[in-house]
Amino acid sequence: MNSTPRHPFRRIPARAVLATAALATAVALPWAANAYLVSLASTALVMAVLSMSAQLLAGPAGLAPLGQAAYLGVGAYTAALVADTVTALGPVQLIAASAAGAIAAAATGLLAVRTRAVTFLMVTVALAELLHVAALSLAPVTGGSEGRHVPPVVPLPGLAPLASDGLTYLYLLATTVVIVGCIAALMRTRFVLALRAASDHEPRLRASGHPVGRQLLAAYTIAGAIAGAAGAMLTTAHQYVSPADMAFGSSALALAAAVLGVGTMPGAFAAAIALVAVRDWLGGTTGHGIALIGLLLIAAAYLPRHDLPSLARQRPRSAP
Amino acid sequence: MTAALHLDQVSRTYGGLQALHPLSLTIPAGERHAVIGPNGAGKSTLLSLIAGALRLSSGRLRLHGADITRLSPESRARAGIGRTHQHPAIWPNLTVAQHLVLATRPGPRTADRISAAARGVNALNTVGLQDRAAVPAAALSYGERRLLELAIALAGAPRLLLLDEPSAGLSSGELHRLRDVLTALPEQVTTVIVDHHLDLVFDIADTVTVLHQGQLLATGPAAAIRTDARVNAVYAATGTAPTRRPRAPQAARPALTVRLPAVGYGTTLLTDISLDVHTGEAAAVVGANGAGKTTLLNAISGLHHGVRGTVLVGGHPTAGMPPHHAVDAGLATVPQGRRLWPRLTVAEHLVVAHPRRRAPSVTKDQILALFPALADRLHHRGSQLSGGEQQMLSIARALTTSPNVLLLDEPAEGLAPAIVGALGAALNQLIDGGLAVLLAEPAMQLGHHIADTVVVLADGTITAHHLTRDLRTSTSTVPEGEAAAAQ
Amino acid sequence: MNLLPLLDRYLITVVDGLAYGLVLFVVAAGLTLIWGVADVLNLAHGTLYLVGAYTAWSLSDGGLTGLLLAVAVGAAIGATAGGLLSLAMRPLSRRPFDQALATLGLSFIGADVLTALFSGEPLHVSPPAALAGSVDLAGHAYPAWRLVFIGIAAAVATSLVLTIDRSRAGAVIRAVVTDAPMAEATGIRTRRVQIAVLAAGGAMAVAVGVAAAPVIGPAPGVDHIVLSQSLIIVVVGGLGSMRGALAAAVGVGQVQTLGVLLAPPATAPFLLAAAMLVVLVTRRSTLGRPA
Repeated sequence: MNSTPRHPFRRIPARAVLATAALATAVALPWAANAYLVSLASTALVMAVLSMSAQLLAGPAGLAPLGQAAYLGVGAYTAALVADTVTALGPVQLIAASAAGAIAAAATGLLAVRTRAVTFLMVTVALAELLHVAALSLAPVTGGSEGRHVPPVVPLPGLAPLASDGLTYLYLLATTVVIVGCIAALMRTRFVLALRAASDHEPRLRASGHPVGRQLLAAYTIAGAIAGAAGAMLTTAHQYVSPADMAFGSSALALAAAVLGVGTMPGAFAAAIALVAVRDWLGGTTGHGIALIGLLLIAAAYLPRHDLPSLARQRPRSAP
Repeated sequence: MTAALHLDQVSRTYGGLQALHPLSLTIPAGERHAVIGPNGAGKSTLLSLIAGALRLSSGRLRLHGADITRLSPESRARAGIGRTHQHPAIWPNLTVAQHLVLATRPGPRTADRISAAARGVNALNTVGLQDRAAVPAAALSYGERRLLELAIALAGAPRLLLLDEPSAGLSSGELHRLRDVLTALPEQVTTVIVDHHLDLVFDIADTVTVLHQGQLLATGPAAAIRTDARVNAVYAATGTAPTRRPRAPQAARPALTVRLPAVGYGTTLLTDISLDVHTGEAAAVVGANGAGKTTLLNAISGLHHGVRGTVLVGGHPTAGMPPHHAVDAGLATVPQGRRLWPRLTVAEHLVVAHPRRRAPSVTKDQILALFPALADRLHHRGSQLSGGEQQMLSIARALTTSPNVLLLDEPAEGLAPAIVGALGAALNQLIDGGLAVLLAEPAMQLGHHIADTVVVLADGTITAHHLTRDLRTSTSTVPEGEAAAAQ
Repeated sequence: MNLLPLLDRYLITVVDGLAYGLVLFVVAAGLTLIWGVADVLNLAHGTLYLVGAYTAWSLSDGGLTGLLLAVAVGAAIGATAGGLLSLAMRPLSRRPFDQALATLGLSFIGADVLTALFSGEPLHVSPPAALAGSVDLAGHAYPAWRLVFIGIAAAVATSLVLTIDRSRAGAVIRAVVTDAPMAEATGIRTRRVQIAVLAAGGAMAVAVGVAAAPVIGPAPGVDHIVLSQSLIIVVVGGLGSMRGALAAAVGVGQVQTLGVLLAPPATAPFLLAAAMLVVLVTRRSTLGRPA
């Protein structure tokens, strides 16, 4: 097939129009929907940011993480701690949470990036469970299984704390736009190109002088920072954080969104919002949100599409 | 002038297998150095040791005087080593242009970036892929992939360039391009090239090193090596006197019948294959690396999936069926590289095979009588055996299903002539007892001892049939796979 | 320093840890075998354990016969589930990641179904009445049933290790794990081996869930705890290694009981993470790292 290349100027507006329409709808939501839907939308934004964190690893790097909610938890507790002891300023909480997520990811990533393929998935499950248990046992900081309540954030210096769900949602939407902008810039870098090459053929990348181990650790750390930011958004949205927020289900949802999102960042973002709608909205009426997510995961597995190349199992070659 | 590369007693073992015996070699800066030798001689192992993809079992490596023994592959690349792989290593989901973005490592300054981009463009022009820049690498032909990997290596501005079989699988046009690229390499770039294409090697190389069974056989100026008697002996692959007694051709129904019009998915790997092997007869398939020998054997054994055509084992059709159907019909396989199970003991290798229905059972003692060396090592694991023992075990494992037809893929790879002779003697006993053997080799090695007929395979199709009797009496030698590569 | 008083003081904890570790070993052994033979990372393996625990709650009547019946039923359920899983995974062969995703989906559905059937509250399963008393263990009163359980679990674990490491069937399984196409080329029906291993792994997970219900009882979330701790054991023990998994399981059991008692509770996860790190650094070749 030899199709003529599409004119570059014709594609960009189409995308831009779609993005603008989506953003306009999102901004109009607090005036159009009831309070329950608005708070649901806040949760959806949190999960969308978390699934972009999973997508950075599952997509370009070809390493599927099943424990990103752990770093969300680290970020959420950090934001809560900052809110209680330092400042109610949202952006400060966000940056602190992001930094904490990055630090936690860098420390645990040392372990995770030594593995590939399904072993990576296995190790991230184990690591997330360990962080989950740590959160439960560090009761003085985390409040144990009771969780911690957090006061409403102040979006910018000089403004009042966010009093309503609608305002909180709009603050989270603005935060999401900033994060999406940062990720979009990241995706155009040579660094992400190297991640894609690493998942295609790692020895070739090493033979060209790229320190693949460090690059993957950097990717894992950045994904942790994004998940940490999602954690700060979570405390802002719920004004409450507990170990249940970093449970397995959230990690699984984030990865499922990344997989369902046909390997692109916007896809992962949209899939996460759809999954939250299924789990909380549809599931809220039937009471079987978890089972619905399960069905979606199975459907995703059997769909004859995504081919994440390096996720295929790599066995160590035996000696000749 | 300091040496570009200095190897000091460098060796590599895999379990009990010595892939490369301690080797010392000094390569002056700017030299074009070729490493040749039969399959299994340790050539690719040597390149991987230099590039850092494999760790040294012993010895030290110096690059322009600096010790690089403990450096990672990426650090060695930054120290100036560029390489290509035996199977072209590229990134299928990236475009050709993106490959060259990653192939260069620009510094932080704008001027660095410009010069790096220029190097990328130059490298692409040099290998002739400039028109393919926007194409995803997955869409490239095999030869184009090889040239792309060469461009990646060149764009990294290496001081030492390691090329692993750069000519394998190239079309004649691409081969010309490769020759041009290699002759036009900058004076100061030291090059180590491993290749089977001897004409190319002797055209380009200043110095040639010959490896055989993991050991240094000879090293010296290309002209001297070309006429070296020992080297020619290796390539003629005679060694010990043949142990084969002449056998009368049998008229009975063939034990193995193969009729394969075409094998392969997107690209056709084999065409018009027609082959019969009779009871009590051995046939050798000879052809260069990449000619399709392993594909042919895997198509017969069922390890290559979805084969269409006719494969009859003892009259039973098995084409396109899972491998155990062929095993039940009486076929056994000794694959390339032995493929033992490293964590199973010798004794366990001899009991796991699924017993065939309606076949006389073979006892472990009968098999061990054929390979007495294994009897002493029953409780050693597969990975602890020497190369010769591994090959014996691989054959012994195949015999446990009491086959009527035995497939052998490069059984002599990396083995000393004496061991090849011993294997030949054991196999001849079995052939005289009624076994049919189909053997694939790049050149007649084990075939020299056992084969009654020789089939020459080139570019996935059979180009000649010979009886070894006729070959022996005529002046021409046995068709050489190595020479066939030159075509 | 005399260690005896120290050992005496923690004896009960050590024995409890042993029981816990052996339970995890039986689950992890199935997980690692299924992974090695069929390339399936069964994320629904913890669900199978939970099914067993609920089976025990439903069928145990306080008598030994009831318990044995429950174990038998559990093993049958598990074998069937494993066999069905093997069929379900067939269209996804060579797509290990999709297989993991599908089993994850199954575990979600399973958790939802179990919660719907048995309520969201933790349930208590009592040991059979005949073994309800306690025995004297070096001066300490210890539940008799628990000692019997440890004995049986230890016997199961030992025979499992010996079967895999010493028997012909074990050699066949190890051959399929290390090079399945070559195993097929010697006539081994790898497909049948896969089905058998999945069924056996499923049976073991459900049966141990029945037997160990008084140790780790049925409750929502137990599926995931058992799964993630088994995954840690598989990683620490080295993929496909029975002896490694046994050692790791006993170690994890002690960390979870003795470790919690001796050190601040929050250190347990870090101890386990450290153990994983040590293994991943020293044994990188066994863990799917590209060569």
